Amino acid sequence: MSSRMSRVTALVAGVGSLAAVAAGTAGTVGVAAATNAHAAKIGGSVSIWAEWTGAEQTQFEAVLKPFEKSTGITVNYAGKGSGTMDTALETAVKGGSPPDVALVPDPGTLDTLAKQHAIKPLGPVIGSESKNYAPAWNKLASVGGKLYGVWFKGANKNTVFYNPALFKAAGIKSPPTTWQQMITDATALRAAGTTPVSLCTDVGWPVADMWQNLYLKINGANDYNALAAHKISWESSTVTKTFDAMNQLVGQSSDLLGGTQGALASTYPECVDKVFPRAGSQPQAAMVIEADFVTTEILANSKKYHAGTTGKGGAACTTDVSKTPCYDLFAFPYPKGDQRNSAAIQGAGDVGMLLNSTPQAKALIKYLAAPQSAAIWAKLGGFASPNNKVPLSDYPDTVSQADAKQLVHAKAFVFSLDDLQGSWEKDLWNDMLADVKTPTAATVKSLQKTMQKQATQALGH
Amino acid sequence: MAELVADPRGTAGPRFRLPGLKNGKLASLAFLAPGAIWLLALVIYPIIATARYSLLNESATKFVGLDNYKAIFSTAAILTTFRNNAIWVIVFPFMVTVIGLIMAVLTERIRWSTAFKAVIVMPVVFSATTSALIFRTIFDIDPHVGAVNALIQTVGDWVHSPGAYPTSTTGQPVSALVASGVKVSGGGLISTGTVRSGQAVQLGMIGISPDTLALLHARPAARPAASSGAVNGVVWRDFSISHPSARGRIFSDEDGLPDLRISLVSASGASVSSATTNSRGQFTLATPKGGGPYRVSIDASNFSNPATGPVWLGTGSLTPTSGLSGTAQALLSVPLIDLAMIIAYLWMWSGFAMIIIGAGLAALNPEVLEAARTEGAREWQVFRRITVPMLSPVLIVVFVTMVINVLKVFDIILNMAPGSSQAGASTLALEMYNEGFSGGIHSGLSSAIAVILFLLVVPAMLFNLRRLRQ
Repeated sequence: MSSRMSRVTALVAGVGSLAAVAAGTAGTVGVAAATNAHAAKIGGSVSIWAEWTGAEQTQFEAVLKPFEKSTGITVNYAGKGSGTMDTALETAVKGGSPPDVALVPDPGTLDTLAKQHAIKPLGPVIGSESKNYAPAWNKLASVGGKLYGVWFKGANKNTVFYNPALFKAAGIKSPPTTWQQMITDATALRAAGTTPVSLCTDVGWPVADMWQNLYLKINGANDYNALAAHKISWESSTVTKTFDAMNQLVGQSSDLLGGTQGALASTYPECVDKVFPRAGSQPQAAMVIEADFVTTEILANSKKYHAGTTGKGGAACTTDVSKTPCYDLFAFPYPKGDQRNSAAIQGAGDVGMLLNSTPQAKALIKYLAAPQSAAIWAKLGGFASPNNKVPLSDYPDTVSQADAKQLVHAKAFVFSLDDLQGSWEKDLWNDMLADVKTPTAATVKSLQKTMQKQATQALGH
Repeated sequence: MAELVADPRGTAGPRFRLPGLKNGKLASLAFLAPGAIWLLALVIYPIIATARYSLLNESATKFVGLDNYKAIFSTAAILTTFRNNAIWVIVFPFMVTVIGLIMAVLTERIRWSTAFKAVIVMPVVFSATTSALIFRTIFDIDPHVGAVNALIQTVGDWVHSPGAYPTSTTGQPVSALVASGVKVSGGGLISTGTVRSGQAVQLGMIGISPDTLALLHARPAARPAASSGAVNGVVWRDFSISHPSARGRIFSDEDGLPDLRISLVSASGASVSSATTNSRGQFTLATPKGGGPYRVSIDASNFSNPATGPVWLGTGSLTPTSGLSGTAQALLSVPLIDLAMIIAYLWMWSGFAMIIIGAGLAALNPEVLEAARTEGAREWQVFRRITVPMLSPVLIVVFVTMVINVLKVFDIILNMAPGSSQAGASTLALEMYNEGFSGGIHSGLSSAIAVILFLLVVPAMLFNLRRLRQ
């Protein structure tokens, strides 16, 4: 467990340097390099596993297609499903028949496999393509000073999605930047007869995501990683402050759709549908606090949703989904008067690893490290790449650009804290739900005690 | 098996016979082997391996004794699953047997009984996932989605019709509607100042959505002129996009509130007259000339909510458990969602129970029933004293099979319980899966749960086997 922690610490700071590079790079550079790299027809086949199924699988297969065409290599992709990818891979490695290449959503798995010598160092394989990633990302994919992975896909949790039509109807001219402003805007929304927030609770992970964002914004990435590694006690004042801030929102029952009880019965993605419904329904709340993957759900509800604060063709945003509905995001707000951590971002990603060093597998991992593979998915939408050579203009709309921009402008990047808690992750989620249920100072105090006990028991320190 | 190979004429036997093995024992072994290997590899070995894993740590690298079992009985979240299993075992097998019996007896007496049976049995062929999704929709809290709550709302609204401005639309209390010139009074609103005959008032409210107004065909608000012999006024949505925080002034983009029931009350609290606002939110309340002072009241009935059904799939409990410790709650609460899921499961399995019991019913000796009827027994007596006792072997098999069935109930919970209620609705089988395969891999804990589940199923299984042998 402790190795996973140090991995996260490594991500702090340095991603910011991505910004300048990404902004100035044209897409053509990458394409030329790639064409040369795969000019030779290698033939044969390669197997690759990742978590993506369904629509994401289709998109990833579109990424693989040009590679197959230029190299003559047949790629056998298997989508293992989110939540089970790591298990499937570790089992396959134990059983002695791993795929040639695998993408996992967890740096901890990379760490484990590298120590088992189940994955190969990438330095000699991908060469200069490693420069497409900021040192922070590469450090996160390195074990013992050797690079073992390429961060093909990034996910950004530093987002709040809102329905621009409802913000406008409440007279809110621009989305909030501070947490306090968001609470004030919630009052304006209520005055206009709109419920401010459709809170996602589900089994607790969406609440944990929100809490972790708040912790990061209030206390910074160093404290965040220390808490993730349980080097800071759960009874520390940093935790109390975070709960207090969260309770400013969840403690105001009328800020939540359906009140506290309704909020506790919400599931993901239904909580998104309440803000961005399908045609025929009216939005019931103005904001939903979740990561960039919300976009996928919005567009699945209706293709009519237009990114930004104007509808299709510049028309005004409407609440009526059959007309010109819109969606937009704002960066997760920071505490008023304290911008230090406004560019610290919580997120996740998929890291590609080489398990068998066949020529085909080497060619594939090099392709995944190059910008043009990520650019293909960027154009398809629902994707953000940590690869700084992918031009922002390749992203299809203002929302995905803002999303990717946040990733490359990040001054610090941390992984989801709950995922690093091992066996007490689900307890942590339940604790978060317990606070939503009774958001009082007394609850916070007893919860902190409980969480400290749970963390100590599960992590052994 | 033994009888099968003991061939009296010995046509096949000798070919396999070896010295020292009489009566084709080797042949019988050879015939047994595929089945035995199959059984060993896929049943016996996994059982032993699981038992072994249950004594090892998370990554199966260290012997930890009974630690996993201790963890099971000291974790509230896992104790919850025992409680849920207990609720399922107590309620479901009994109900499904009773319903199956009733339907079996009744279908015997109707025309088109085969068609009727086919319809009842249909859910058996659906996958549990399909059934779970159907019932997740049926029990949805939103009456526009969930059929059960739609029924409750329809009946409730018929008994007591809701107001034009139900507070449930935005989930806010009446006090959140106060903007200018009004205050909360007895569940409704009342003017802050007093008014006399011949004067006009304006009452501002907020927290009303544009959708509600569009539905009521509201038009821009305007303050009416005063007229003698009446109190005139306007109730309007005191919220302007151009001036979001300005209260008490009527802007051109602010609408009146139609369909509000307004009354004029005297200082003693008696109602003097009443009226309903028009599409501009205006009203005229007749008064005796020179009367007053009065207050203008916006009745509580304007804000009364449509009837709402319970949150079937939430975390609510049928037994009061607030104030109890986590462990006590885990053991004592009876979640409403368990009831909803049991209903769904009954829908799935009653048809199956009906078919089995129906077959038993067909096998009964009709002469016994006939004899009872000739002796003058009424139908109920025949049912109670003859049919049920004679059917009891079948009923017990159905009952015990269903006990086993619900001990391992899994898919309906995984698919019917929304995420936030899943922990409270979880059963041993689901917990076993969650610990073992979903998220982190806790093979030790998961295996220990599997062993306990196995031990719970074994008695029921043995009982059923003995029954079948008889």
